[in-house]
Amino acid sequence: MKQLALLLVPLLSSCAIYDAVTMTGFDPNEYRIITEIRVDANHYKDACANPLLAQVNAVAMARKTDLFEAYSEQIPNNADGYKASTSLNEIAQGLAKRYDTPPVSPLFCKLKYSSIENSARVIQHTIGNRPR
Amino acid sequence: MTLVEIQHQLYNIANSGDPVFADFASQINDIVEQAKAGQMTPQDTAEILRDAQRQLVILDSMNALAFKETLNTCITGLIMIAGAV
Repeated sequence: MKQLALLLVPLLSSCAIYDAVTMTGFDPNEYRIITEIRVDANHYKDACANPLLAQVNAVAMARKTDLFEAYSEQIPNNADGYKASTSLNEIAQGLAKRYDTPPVSPLFCKLKYSSIENSARVIQHTIGNRPR
Repeated sequence: MTLVEIQHQLYNIANSGDPVFADFASQINDIVEQAKAGQMTPQDTAEILRDAQRQLVILDSMNALAFKETLNTCITGLIMIAGAV
């Protein structure tokens, strides 16, 4: 069995092995923030018909995705996670910025939160499976 | 490519049975229909479609990460086997 194990390892590309072995482990803070983003997006969706509340929520969401991106940025060996956090932040910033030029349609607001919620669920699932 | 051709492509993906992209294409087609019905401005529609592209980037990044996680689990298993025998 030992020979089999030693035989299999060189079959994988050395870059893939290096990336896999040095990948960052499970981070409870990172997991907590992405879970909050997902849950907030789900709740904020219901307030899209109220322009004042929706604007406050959009700013709060943009701050949280900003926090998530900044947190992901400095985690070592986390290029894929940082890339995803940047895209998620772009989605949320687009919503907050849209409230600078009202009126904002409730449909646009709901679709934005659906995008944020779906993306947060995908990220949460993957970072939740990181080695512990 | 015309709008009809684009929607036809989306329709094909939506009915492809792919577990991730079928639903994704269906949602994009819904957005296009809502835009055609005048429920959103062209600028808002463009922004929502850009979000769809951003979601593809997220899916791609997380797939790469999931692959590394699986590989890491395999290597850890191989190390344990090699150490135990």
